[in-house]
Parts: sequence; C-alpha cells; structure tokens
Amino acid sequence: MLARRWTPRLLAGLLALATPISAEVPNAADSLTILSWGGAYEQAQRRALFTPFTDAHDVPVAVDSYNGGLKELRQAVAENDVPWDVIDMTRSEAMAACEEGLLEALPSELAAPAPDGTPASQDFFSGALGRCFISHSIFATVVAYRRDAFPGERPTRIADLFDQQRFPGPRALQRTPAANLEWALLSYQVPREELYRLLSTRRGLDLAFARLQSIDNIKWWESGDTPVRLLEEGEVVMASGYNGRFFAAMVERDLPIEILWDGQLQEHETWVIPRGAPNPEAAQTFIRFATTSERQVALARHIPYGPARHSASMQVTTHRDTGLDMRLHIPTHPINAQGAVTKDEAWYARTQERVEALFHEALMTQE
Amino acid sequence: MAWYYWAVSLGGMAALVAVGFVNAVLWLNDLLLISPRGQMMAANTTLVILATLLVPTLGGLLVGQLHRGLPRGRPHTPADAIAAVQTRRGRLPAKAGALSGLSSLVSLGAGASVGQYGPLVHLGATLGSLITRLLHLGRSEDNITIACGVAAAIAAAFNAPLAGIVFAHEVVLRHYALRAFAPVAAAAIVGYVLATQLLDQGALFHITEPGVPQPWEFALFLVLGGLGALVAGAYMHAVLAMGQLAKRLPLPTSLHPALAGALLGLTALWVPDILGMGQETLRFATLPGAYGGGELLMVLLLKLAATALCLGLGFAGGVFSPALVIGTLFGALMGTLVAELGGGQETFIFYAVCGMVAVTAPVLGAPLTTLLIVFELTGSYALTTAALASVTLANPLAAQLFGRSLFDIQLARRGLDLSAGRSRAVLQETRLTDLISHDAVTLAPATPLDAAISCLSAAGHGEAYLVDDRGRYQGCVTLASLETLRAGSEATTLADCPETPRPVLDPHSSLWEAMHQLEKVTGEAIAVVDNERRFLGVAYESSIARAFLHHSDALRREEHGAG
Repeated sequence: MLARRWTPRLLAGLLALATPISAEVPNAADSLTILSWGGAYEQAQRRALFTPFTDAHDVPVAVDSYNGGLKELRQAVAENDVPWDVIDMTRSEAMAACEEGLLEALPSELAAPAPDGTPASQDFFSGALGRCFISHSIFATVVAYRRDAFPGERPTRIADLFDQQRFPGPRALQRTPAANLEWALLSYQVPREELYRLLSTRRGLDLAFARLQSIDNIKWWESGDTPVRLLEEGEVVMASGYNGRFFAAMVERDLPIEILWDGQLQEHETWVIPRGAPNPEAAQTFIRFATTSERQVALARHIPYGPARHSASMQVTTHRDTGLDMRLHIPTHPINAQGAVTKDEAWYARTQERVEALFHEALMTQE
Repeated sequence: MAWYYWAVSLGGMAALVAVGFVNAVLWLNDLLLISPRGQMMAANTTLVILATLLVPTLGGLLVGQLHRGLPRGRPHTPADAIAAVQTRRGRLPAKAGALSGLSSLVSLGAGASVGQYGPLVHLGATLGSLITRLLHLGRSEDNITIACGVAAAIAAAFNAPLAGIVFAHEVVLRHYALRAFAPVAAAAIVGYVLATQLLDQGALFHITEPGVPQPWEFALFLVLGGLGALVAGAYMHAVLAMGQLAKRLPLPTSLHPALAGALLGLTALWVPDILGMGQETLRFATLPGAYGGGELLMVLLLKLAATALCLGLGFAGGVFSPALVIGTLFGALMGTLVAELGGGQETFIFYAVCGMVAVTAPVLGAPLTTLLIVFELTGSYALTTAALASVTLANPLAAQLFGRSLFDIQLARRGLDLSAGRSRAVLQETRLTDLISHDAVTLAPATPLDAAISCLSAAGHGEAYLVDDRGRYQGCVTLASLETLRAGSEATTLADCPETPRPVLDPHSSLWEAMHQLEKVTGEAIAVVDNERRFLGVAYESSIARAFLHHSDALRREEHGAG
C-alpha cells in the first residue's frame, strides 16, 4: 500500500530533478523590475524573496509600488512600453487582466513541486494556479480597532463595524466596493455563501449601500498604510486594512490595536508577467523561485500571510524578529478563519467596474 | 432483512440524484442567465433582457414536447407517489419518472416559477419503486422503499434528515409503523451524510442569534397562522384554477408551457424577483428593510400568479419552494405592518419564518415536517416555537376550508379521496372485476316455478338470476320465495313472481361501493351487470367480505407487523 501511494510522488520528484527546466537557467538580464504594494509588505518581500533571488541568480531587483488597479498596466500595454517584468497582483485583477489580454500566459510546469515531490498542481490550494497567474500568499482585508477606544466592551462581530451606538467613533474604510459590500450584507446576517448571489441584484447592492451610508464620519483610504496611520493618530477608532500591515503595527511598533477576524475577506495574491515585459524569461525564473515552499515559508516569517501551498502552510513557524508564533496571525489559521469570507474573484473580475461605478455614485457623491 | 440494506443503499442513490439535480439546476440558471449572479456576470444588458424573455419561453417549448411522451401528457408529481402508496396498487413507472424528472430539470433550469423539492421527492420515490421491482418484493416493501427514496431526497436537498423521515411518514406513508421507521431513517441518514459531503450549498435560510419575541407576539404569530392559511388556500386554488383554465385555451397542450414562459419572462423584465425558484427573493424577504411594504404585497401577488401560471399551464415542478417564497413574503409583510405599528424590528425574522411555515405547512399537509425543516436549518428553538404557534391555527383552518393538502385536493379531483384514510382509499381503488363469479344459477323468465325449484335444488344454490333471451338481467328470486309462491299463489312462471328489489353492481365498481351495497342485501350475492344491463355474473357476499378482510389484513401487516 505504502509503496503504491508513494511511487508516483517519488517518480514525480525524480523527474523534476532529472528534467532540465529552461526557466531555471536565468537569462542574462541586467535587472528585474517588480511592481508590488510597498510598505511592510514590500519590506518582507525584500528580505524573503528579492534579496535571496539576487543572491541566487545574480540578478538585481528593482521595486516599484502601486495601490492595485489595472489602469496603468492597460495604458503601458497599449503604448507597448511596459516597465515591469513581474507584478504582484490580487487574483481578481489577475483574472480580469488575463481575460483582457494584458498578461502573458504562464507555462503549466512553471511552479516547482513540493519538497517531497508532490506535483505543484496538488500542492497549491484550489484555484491558486491560473492561466496567467500563480498565487503565492493568502492575505485578508480585516477590520482593526483601537484597544483603548471602547472601555468595557470590545467588538467581536463584523456587524459591530456598523454599530456606532455601542462602538462610537469615526471609521476608516477602503475606497472600493470589495470588503465593504460584503461586510454590509454580513451585518444583516446574510450567510457567507449567499453574499455574491445577493450582491448580484440591485436590491442587494442598495441594501449594502444603505448600511454603509448609515455610518457617521467615514474616512475613505486608498493606500494600505493610511488606515494604520489613522488608527495610530486616533483619527478613527475602527479601520479596515490588510492584516499584514496591522500585524506590523501591532508587533513591530507596539500600537494599541487589535484585529477583528470575523468577516475577514480572504484573497489570493499572485505573481503575473505583463504582456510585453522586458525580461520575460528572467521573470519566469523569479516566479518559480518565489513560489517554492521554502520561499513561501520564509515570507511568512516576516509578514502573516498564509502560504498558497499545503506544504508551506504546514511549516509556518515563528516571526523572524520577535519569535512570535506566526500561525496564530495568518488569516488561514482555523481560529481566525472561522468567519472568513472567500472573495469571489471571478465575480469581481467580471463586475468590478460596474459595481465600482455604483459604489461611487452611492457613497462618494455625499463627501 | 436483505431489503433493509437495499433501502439504505437506495438512500444513497436518491441522495446522489438529488445532489446532481440541485447542482444541475444551479448550473443551468447561471449558464442561461436566469440567476442574478449569471445575469450580473454576463455584463450585457441586451443579452440579459433577451435571455429573460427567451429562456423561459424556449424552456416551455421543450417541456411541452417532453410531456407528449408521458401518459395523459402531464408530469408525475409527489401526488402520484402518495396515490401509489395509499392505494397499495401503484408501482411508479420508471420511464414516466425519468421523463418527469428531466422535464422538471428543464423547467427549473429555464427559470419557471416552480419548486425543486417536488421533483426530487418523486424521483426518490420512483427509484424506490424501481428497486422493489428489481428485487421482486411485495407491496408493503414497495411502499417502504418508496418512503425511503423520498426521505433520502428530502434529507439530501434540505440537509435535514429528521424532516426527511417525518415527511416520508407524515405525507407519503401516513402511518408511523416501527417496521418502516428503521429503513426510512437509515436512508435519510445516508442521504444527509452524502449530501453534506457532496453538496457544498448554503442552507436554504441561515439565521444566527434571532432576538427573543415578546410574549404578546406569540398571539400575533397565531393570527398570522390563520391568515397564512388563507394565503395557502388562495395559492392552492390559483394553481388548480389555472389548470382548469388551461383546458379551455385554444392552443395545443404542448404549447401551453411556452405561453406561460413567455408571460413569465415578460413580467420578470419588470419584477425580476418572480423568476426561478426564488432563493434570492426568499432571502431578501427575511431581511428587514430589503423590501418596502407595498413592494412586498406586489411581489407576493405576482409570485403567486406566476407560480399558478407556470404549474397550471404545464411546467413541471414542485409547489413547495414557491410556497416558501410566498409565505416568507407574506410573513415579511406582516412583520413590516407590525413594525409600522410600533412593534419590535428585532423580531422581523420571526414574522418572516412564521409566514413561511403558515403557508407551506397547509400546502404540503405536513405541519411537523415544516417545523422540523425550520428547526434543522436554523437550529433555533425560539424560531421553531414561534413557527409552532402559527401552524397550530394554519393547518386545521386550511384543512377545514380547503382540504388536507394540495396533493390531496389534486387526487380528490382525480377521483381518489384520501380524506377518510388509507383503508377507504385502498377499498376504493380495488376493482370488483376479480371477484366476479360465474358459478350462479341463471334462469329465463319463462321458466315454470317447479322447474326453477328443481334446478336450484340440484345446483345447491338458494338464489337464481333471471336473464332474458337477450342476456339482460331481469331480477333475482330466492328458493324460499319460490317455495312460498308455489304453495299459495297462481303464478306459474318466474315472470309472474313479484319482484324483490335488489341492487346491482357495475364490473368497474370499487370494493368500497360493493361493501356499501351489501348493507342493503340479504342473500348470497349481488348481480353484476354492464351499463346495458347485460348479466355478467355475480359477486358473492362472502368473497366481498374476504377481499375486505384481505386488504385490511395487508394494511395491518404493513402498519403493525414487526420486521
């Protein structure tokens, strides 16, 4: 029995070792330009991915940062002047960009097998390997609150974000429909499985907008660092944001904030190669390198993002600097994931622009 | 015992069919741009408008063609399964079952306003009946395997095994025999386990931490139940009336569903909430503020009309899911009224759920099942007790005004009256044909008295039947009356005898009618004649009584026999 179970894996492992993969040999490239998200996230990537990549392949990495969105990429591809080799993109945007033809298709054997030889297709989480993308991490958009803002009672459910009677004070929310609409409907006790079906109707969207409109004093943010700053400066008492940034603020800067995991919106972060990238082969080499189990584990020692493959999830250990057990801080940890919403990226890939237009019409015109 | 294991494996098969069916409907709805999600993803307004108009119409056209292959041109429903079990006569034909299932899939996939649980119940029942035939089992086992299939289908579709078990007993078997319980329960559990492993679908409704209603609100839930019974009655009668109206349409029957589809699509352009099974509509109706009061009333009326139109004009599908939607809309309307009068907004969900139960329980004729569905899906004891308050008035009132359930009303209209219980239904469905005997003395009216007496004595019978030369039945004489006549009258032939009025039976009469006629007869047998009064034979009193005892005994064995 044992032999039968292990033989395919062994064979796959041996094959992987024996087959020369062109992508592993770096092509001569002066440098690699990567577009990522800046802040604590970029710092973590530098330490866990970019520097080790340069050390291993002798290719210096330059980093640009952005706040998501496809506008710049669309323009760059149209002008045939793409300055980036690799982009760190959310999966929904990667799906939309792929459909629009803004990305290179990736070879199916690009992702490396697990250390025990398990093929990548079985080791990565479901939906992590796309035609144009490979997911590397699972992060969450969460709500964090100031510990000192609500004496006596702490928020425990995402519905508390909208309850300004029990939890008074201004809120900071991202200037996008994603997460806000889901949370608004969750506050009506809509089950997680039905969120996107209801948000597909005008009635569902209006219900969500009404809930958001009921909040007094919203500060809308765009850059991932802003909610941390607003919480730090006491301008808001609750803010949505990326779990990694909040973690950095709590652990590295000792800010008095706490993450409310209920309703966390999980999303895949992926690597993609834009169409017309200057060094596509070096870009592929980087993606293979950065998505190995070893590098995913290394990244999770700097920033609490859940690795996108099983073999790496099993090895998540402690924070590199503080020795904190990182398993308790990653979104995919069972305790944190209890009330998690998996972002329906296929839905967003198709509806983003229309929903965004309605979102702005309903909420931004009031400002 | 072996058939117990079959019953369990049947549970598995029925659950797989149910899971496959539910997923296929969802997939079709997305693909054909019927579901809101499908429409939203399509991103093309013209395409969505065209789909809303054309998909139900073309779906109706296909359904109409499929029904041409069915006996009497109509799809089979849970009512057929109930009739088969209650009369102990029917085996459910596999071809009709499969064709009805397919046509329900097309109907639901194309967005008709019909339910999915009816087809699932019928498919489960047909599978049960098929297995019994393959195993050459008896009627009693047939009934129990049918119940097993039904229980497994409900357990799988609702993720509610207890409701599945109770539905099979409450609606299909209509008894709670221990003998049936074990296999039905086992099938339901297998169905539930398989479905939870395979069907990654959210609960029909999912409510966490509902508030606690005020004591006085229970009185309102009771009233709501009473009014819900009226809504249920309106719903049932609209479905039946539309069926009657359809018969008068100057259009071939096979085109009726297409007409219903076109009208549905046209209305859905204006009020999309009425399209399909209505899961989103149901969910919104449970959320305070999602609908205004006027909107609730309008969607309620339109959904009721759309369902009556679709079912009455021949789309295949169930009555339960639309009843759930209509009931919830009705409950939400009541909740909104109460809120406007200053009642608690926190208990809105209670009104929605009470309305749902008050309308569906009378339609199904299954108050316990409906309560259990609420309990298993919400896990809320508070909600279940509120729902209990509303069914206590809803079911008896609806039964008094309209009938036990829509299934029973449909069957009564087809000539099967289940209101007096199983034994009467069985007797009504048993035909006299098998009991006709030719072992009787028939004499011509011109036979002299003496000859008649000798003939009867020689044959060892006490009664003779007068049949003329054209074979027509003319009456009956007894040996005793002939002897009396010979002693004291001038009559010489049988034709001169005074007539003793005695009822006759039709060969197509039921055993139930024969039993009734027996009450008026003192004698050996009743003559059986055709509609031109031609003498066909006799039905002996003893054989009628034996048949009655035989059926009663079979029922008793099915309901009370051990193992």
